[in-house]
Amino acid sequence: MAPKKKEEPKPVEAPKPEPERPKTPVFDSASVKLEFTPEQIEDFKDAFQLFDRTPANEMKITYAQCGDLTRALGQNPTNKEIMYVLGKPKPEEMQTKMLNFDEFLPMHQHFCKGKDSGTYEDFVEGLRVFDKEGNGTVMGAELRHVLSVMGEKLKEDEVEQLMQNQEDANGCINYEAFVKHIMAS
Amino acid sequence: MGCGVSKSNLFQKSDSKGSVVSAVTSIKAAVLIQHWYRQYVARMELKRRYTWHIFQSLEYSGEQAQIKLYNFLGYLMDNFTPSSNERNLISHFFRENEVCRDSEWERFFDYKNIDVPEIYSGPHLTFPLTLEQGSGLVDAFRNKRQLHSRYVLQLLLDTWRLLRKFPNISRVSTCQSKEITICGDLHGQLEDLLLIFYKNGMPSHERPYVFNGDFVDRGDNSIEVLLILFSFLLLYPNDVHLNRGNHEDHIVNLRYGFTKEVLTKYKMHGKRILKLLQKIFSWLPLATVIDQKVLVLHGGISDTTDLSVLARVDRHKYVSALRPPKKRHPSTANVSVDYEEEVWSSGRRRSSVALPRPLTRGTFQNTSLPDFSDRVRPPVGGAAERRGRLALQGALLGGSQQALGAAAGTGPSQDSGESSDHSEDEWKQILDLLWSDPMTQDGCVPNEVRGGGCYWGPDVTDDFLSRHNMTLIIRSHECKQEGYEFCHNRKVLTLFSASNYYDVASNRGAYVKLGPDLVPYLIQYQASSKTRELTVRQRVGQTEHSALRVLRKQLFSHKSDLISAFQDLDKENTGLVSLKDWAEAVEGVMHLGLPWRMLRSQLISRRASDGAVDYRQWFTELAIQEPNMEHIEKGLLEMLYRHRSTLETIFRIVDTDNSGVINMEDFRQTWKLLSIYLKMEFTEEAISDLAVAIDTNGDGCIDIQEFMEAFRLSDKKSRLERGRSMFMGTAHDLQRPETVDPDL
Repeated sequence: MAPKKKEEPKPVEAPKPEPERPKTPVFDSASVKLEFTPEQIEDFKDAFQLFDRTPANEMKITYAQCGDLTRALGQNPTNKEIMYVLGKPKPEEMQTKMLNFDEFLPMHQHFCKGKDSGTYEDFVEGLRVFDKEGNGTVMGAELRHVLSVMGEKLKEDEVEQLMQNQEDANGCINYEAFVKHIMAS
Repeated sequence: MGCGVSKSNLFQKSDSKGSVVSAVTSIKAAVLIQHWYRQYVARMELKRRYTWHIFQSLEYSGEQAQIKLYNFLGYLMDNFTPSSNERNLISHFFRENEVCRDSEWERFFDYKNIDVPEIYSGPHLTFPLTLEQGSGLVDAFRNKRQLHSRYVLQLLLDTWRLLRKFPNISRVSTCQSKEITICGDLHGQLEDLLLIFYKNGMPSHERPYVFNGDFVDRGDNSIEVLLILFSFLLLYPNDVHLNRGNHEDHIVNLRYGFTKEVLTKYKMHGKRILKLLQKIFSWLPLATVIDQKVLVLHGGISDTTDLSVLARVDRHKYVSALRPPKKRHPSTANVSVDYEEEVWSSGRRRSSVALPRPLTRGTFQNTSLPDFSDRVRPPVGGAAERRGRLALQGALLGGSQQALGAAAGTGPSQDSGESSDHSEDEWKQILDLLWSDPMTQDGCVPNEVRGGGCYWGPDVTDDFLSRHNMTLIIRSHECKQEGYEFCHNRKVLTLFSASNYYDVASNRGAYVKLGPDLVPYLIQYQASSKTRELTVRQRVGQTEHSALRVLRKQLFSHKSDLISAFQDLDKENTGLVSLKDWAEAVEGVMHLGLPWRMLRSQLISRRASDGAVDYRQWFTELAIQEPNMEHIEKGLLEMLYRHRSTLETIFRIVDTDNSGVINMEDFRQTWKLLSIYLKMEFTEEAISDLAVAIDTNGDGCIDIQEFMEAFRLSDKKSRLERGRSMFMGTAHDLQRPETVDPDL
């Protein structure tokens, strides 16, 4: 079989039994209405330039940076959503394909329409799920496991960084304090 | 992925309503945390980036200043009459850059008439060096001893003799299952070198090392680091390899602290030591190749880098990479020409050949000397606005490179075109090798930010490696937060061994070990136990705090220019400017290419409801404590503060005997020099006021250090310039040595 060069997936291509949700398979940036104020756009430009590593400062970032940038600006898309707006690129393209500011804006706008990132209470509730004894603490080991195995898995070093200095002598984490810690940056 | 958790019993509470429900909640919880974490990381990354950007901008603008100053001095040399005072002040500086005959150099090394007094408490060395003395030296430095100048000179002499035998490119092999340890920039940070030795062991036959340049400048112990490296080189010449870095260069040293360190620690013989080091630096090999597969060099490559050319050059001709080699008049090739003296001194002649007038740096196109106080407005709008700094630098680079290129030292211009082409090409190869940085995009463009070398892309790496049949380039030159960083598809490794370089807790250091498999194995560390335990967030926070502090000072020192710029935009004189105008004006004055809008919350605390900035109010926020010199004109103080590095550099040049003291007349002349350079007028009165203010004992002499400190120009804890870590305790130069000056 010839290797496929195209990266845009056609919805009716492969007869895989994956439960496909009924949304548009390809992100259409032209259809996104930009609702940012000029001030906001100037702010985004500043941040964009900071991520721009081209020596000639061509106002371009790699695909891989798109997620970081949109998060740095306060949005919180899932990795899947990011791949979607980027047109589901291959892993190796993430470091090589570039995005300019005008291409980035509609993507960012799309994320801005997404749901909120969660309040302090949401997090505490979420962590309470793992609080077996109902005493305000969770087992660090359990939390590590969950974060690296479930959902949009974190890598081991990411988990380490997140949990650094949070566990007490028994390996427990007071989760209210934990949430305050990660929210206070 | 999916919900495989139903198999796990982790989520079954004793009172669970149903395992499926709790599993879903768990996943939801996990996703929430993961999302949040990723956002948090992204915000940290943003902070980290602009913090680094601040430090780097300030660092590079300092580098630029040095080049400008040097060009200015060169301009003076050529355009002032020989009898002028200004010229005489600095002519000796250029005389130092000659390449003399070897026999003359031996004379310089003469240490025999230097006696070591009995009360000297530092290490004694005999030559040839023994292993015991080598490790004894390390211990002595760890205990803050200083090596006597007699031994320093002896050590340097032996080092020089050895280095001359080495080829430009050292070839090393990992046969016998030896692992080679490679270290990056050390920048005078002794504690990092000691940490490396502690973790990895000291160099030996079984433990070969490569040190990849930038041993000196910025840190407090450049000379100690250098002496340790040289002594191990002498002990194990086949197992210790030193590559030259861009800081192994006397012109760079003048600004970045090494010159000052040596002159402070060695008051009597410092100047001699520095001159010898000039020579030694030029003899340092340019690169190391391991197993013919791995290239180790300080800066990097360009699309024209050719190892066979580099192997052939006379590397010692390039005393400073910033200055092309001197060309000798063919007929005087065998005679050492003290060119300056020859033409300019009255009467005395060393050679019988009449030499023509020196090549002027008249290709110095900028007759109005560019400098920081120049209000060169970059093109307005968008990215160009912020990167206007690069445009300015480009102009400077064009100007300075032209000047440097045409200068060819003070040699005559009648060289054959061919040899000058060769020379130019060789010079460019070396410049690229020492100053280049990698970039993510393909291609090769001049490195205008630094002022030398290139930015090279992954395609250039691939091409270079395949042409030379190699697999990896290891380089240094750039500070990295984790101490190292791979790029170009893991074919280029940047290695940086000076931890806490920009500030306490700013970054880790790293070294790499290569075995016969040539797979890099990296070890990281950070000097000072206090910083190791900080979380990433705390580290970023601390560095950010420092960077902003330094930035605020910089802003304040440009107060008059900034107010002018604001007033230009505030036509109705409301005292307010919009945020956009504020950012534009600030960049227009500072030329740092920083994301000012992003920094606004850190730099401005109060703004009007519509976001406008009250600029006068802003300066009262920024105000640093000014020295109590009411009778000194405010504008002058500000200027002093802004140009303090340049001022100090000029003082040091003027202070010919390195006593740290200059007389009143020279003091006045210095100001005259500065006023030309900065195109500012200083009244005689203003200068007298300054002199009087500092010459407290009225003996007509100015102590440079006291002057700088009195005007708060010397920042004792200036971390940006020193990169100190908490580990080392009180700075050496703050104390008068209680022990006997080992230099006596």
